[in-house]
Amino acid sequence: MGELTMGSLTTGPHRAERSSGRRIRLPLPGFAGRMMAPGLLVLAGVSLLPFAAVVVMSFSRVHLLGGLRLEGAGADNWTRLFTDPDMAWAWARTAGYFVLTVGGEMVLGTVLAICLWRLRHGRNTALSLLLLPMFVAPVIVGLLGRFLTDSTFGLYSWVLGQLGYHGDLMGDKTTAFVSVTLMDVWEWTPLVTLIALAGLTSVPSSVLEAASLDGAGLLRTLRHIVLPAIAPVLLVALLIRSMDALRYFDIIWNTTGGGPADATKTASVKLYETAFRFFDFGYAAVTGLLMLAVTTVVARYFVRLLDRKGLAR
Amino acid sequence: MGSPPPSSAPRPSPPLSRRSVLRGAAAGGAMGLLAGCGGRSDAAFHPDAGPWRRYAGTTVNFISENTAPTAAIAADLRPFTELTGIRVNIVTLELSALAQKVALDLASGNGEYDVVYADPYQVLAPYAPAFADLREFTEDPGLPRLPGGLDDFIGTHLDAAGRFGGDGKVLALPYDCPTMVWQYRADLFKRYRDRMADDLGFDPMPSDNTTWEQYYAIARWFNDETDEVRYGTGHQAKQHDALMCDFSNLLWSYGGDYFDGGRRVGRIGTLDPGPCRLDSDAAIAGAEFYQRLLKIADPGSRTWDWDGLGAAFRAGRIAMCPNWHEYAASNKAAMPGKVGYARLLKGPVRSAGMYGGTGIAVSKVIPERRRRAAWLFVNWATTPKTQLANLASKVGGGTPTRTSVYAMPRVTAAQHRPSKMANMLSADAVKKTWRSDTIGLRPKIPMWAECDTAVYTQLSGMLAGDASPESAMRAATSRIDRIVARGG
Repeated sequence: MGELTMGSLTTGPHRAERSSGRRIRLPLPGFAGRMMAPGLLVLAGVSLLPFAAVVVMSFSRVHLLGGLRLEGAGADNWTRLFTDPDMAWAWARTAGYFVLTVGGEMVLGTVLAICLWRLRHGRNTALSLLLLPMFVAPVIVGLLGRFLTDSTFGLYSWVLGQLGYHGDLMGDKTTAFVSVTLMDVWEWTPLVTLIALAGLTSVPSSVLEAASLDGAGLLRTLRHIVLPAIAPVLLVALLIRSMDALRYFDIIWNTTGGGPADATKTASVKLYETAFRFFDFGYAAVTGLLMLAVTTVVARYFVRLLDRKGLAR
Repeated sequence: MGSPPPSSAPRPSPPLSRRSVLRGAAAGGAMGLLAGCGGRSDAAFHPDAGPWRRYAGTTVNFISENTAPTAAIAADLRPFTELTGIRVNIVTLELSALAQKVALDLASGNGEYDVVYADPYQVLAPYAPAFADLREFTEDPGLPRLPGGLDDFIGTHLDAAGRFGGDGKVLALPYDCPTMVWQYRADLFKRYRDRMADDLGFDPMPSDNTTWEQYYAIARWFNDETDEVRYGTGHQAKQHDALMCDFSNLLWSYGGDYFDGGRRVGRIGTLDPGPCRLDSDAAIAGAEFYQRLLKIADPGSRTWDWDGLGAAFRAGRIAMCPNWHEYAASNKAAMPGKVGYARLLKGPVRSAGMYGGTGIAVSKVIPERRRRAAWLFVNWATTPKTQLANLASKVGGGTPTRTSVYAMPRVTAAQHRPSKMANMLSADAVKKTWRSDTIGLRPKIPMWAECDTAVYTQLSGMLAGDASPESAMRAATSRIDRIVARGG
């Protein structure tokens, strides 16, 4: 018995010693990771480096003549951002534009999706027709809108004239803003419709039948069954449209250029103007970073909403 | 007999592996990329050839706005290529896009563009040091002589479009010269002349003595007394550079200006124009009249740039308008024989018509021999022969910038109907406008693009009823002063 005890004691330390001497190995990237590495590095290069450049430019005065030169400007550009009334108004207009366009698109898109969903015949044809505006390039929508609203030869102007309105759509601050808003709504409502319709097709028919058997009417069915069922999908549409609306540029630039009296000059238009008309890249960098921050905050908010719905992953 | 020794077979080479192929392709791609990052090569050179042929085989890149002479030249480059052996690539863009391209080209130092349509306010003023002094070429005996010399160009054009800063350098040769003139329905004025004279108390026919107040009265008369047109006058009053151009005519006629010494600032240009003077009594008076005029103008004016205004005029909406004279060809096509042209109206101080001309310049970023090759194109593109060909071109047009062209019998004859060169119908009006005392020159300063935006934004607000003329002018002054203080 004593010998057995001595043997056990002898084995223990030896095993411990071997365990403590083991070399720790870090896990190497697997095959998939190694194959993805070049692409990820390229993506990092085209994302992080420009971002860093923009940050540097936001603290600089950028000179183009004789080659690109950066002259340190401290916080001048940032100070100007917070003291520029034009910028404040541009963001106010952006907020208004955002609410009107995204709100309009969500409401109209959802209504159209429900109508299509209840359509028994010709759904595909109707859907194809409704989706057409979405496939038109935004710059073309702007040019088309400009022609249609032209006071000399525009169709819309002529129609409105027949109805008794003789003002110029793009000459008045209110009607100009409404016009560019409606152009955006016209173009992107089909996207919301498409997304919402995809959600509607996944609503279980058995639940609808049960509701019908229990005597629920159309409105109650929509309110208590259909809309809650597609709410997560609508959030996705809201996220997509929100990102675009905050940065939208094409239609406004091609129709009004930000006028009249800056009535349609949103932050994105002002950013373009600052960078590519005034060539004030330092202040443009600040404006761009602010826009990035705003869109990031909005995106994070919607992603958190989606996460609560269990759809983030 | 012994057996022959065994021959050794050649060892087979290993097959080309995919890895080797990829390595080779990567190396080739890298070398190509490095080569692409470098600038363009210098021009070909043949020292024993004649002056026009010494750079045969070279390619010259010309970047230009979509403008009449460029359209005409682009349609027929063969004469130049046959003369010089030089191939020309022409890139045409909208002006703001051109300014972007040029700015980035100068910043990168690549020298992609040899010849630049150097708008005085968006290109020449901000980037003057980047353009060659053309006197180097005009004085070089090894290069072709500039026909007529620099003195053949209209003096105000050469200064406004070709010089900056008062150092005497000639950075561009005048290439086009749109100028704002009074365009009116001559048929209507003739038909209603007597009635208008009786009602208004003066002869309505355009003359050098017609005033802006009379223009206003004529416009109201057409509004109230006839259905031939919907409105008497229309304007390019969209929130756009066009609005600044339209307003400036009145500003100058009332004795106002953007800066002290505004005529010199506009004609020669400067880096530091000093305090803005839009808050002067004269400027405010001009703004007050402009607001009053726009109240009786076609409401569409606030959505029109110069193209929109031109279309409205040709559609018969308005009886008259201030606009660029180069719409004469379009007017002739739409309303043959019905449109007349006159110098813009007199204000309390003078008459002034906005000059919108531009010169073509040689980039200094490019190698020396390419600069000389580019000069051959600049020389040729502005010769009397080429300007005459442009004037008669079916696809282009433009208006000559050389005095000798206006003296040609063919051109002189074209100034009267029937005319085969429609733009010449406005020649009398524009020639009067180009004199030193009547030409309208906006400030030629590096920061003008931003100042311009400040001006037309405030004016647009004024026209929308957001601000009085005085407050609009004071606000514009304040903004311009801040912009100038920041520097170009």
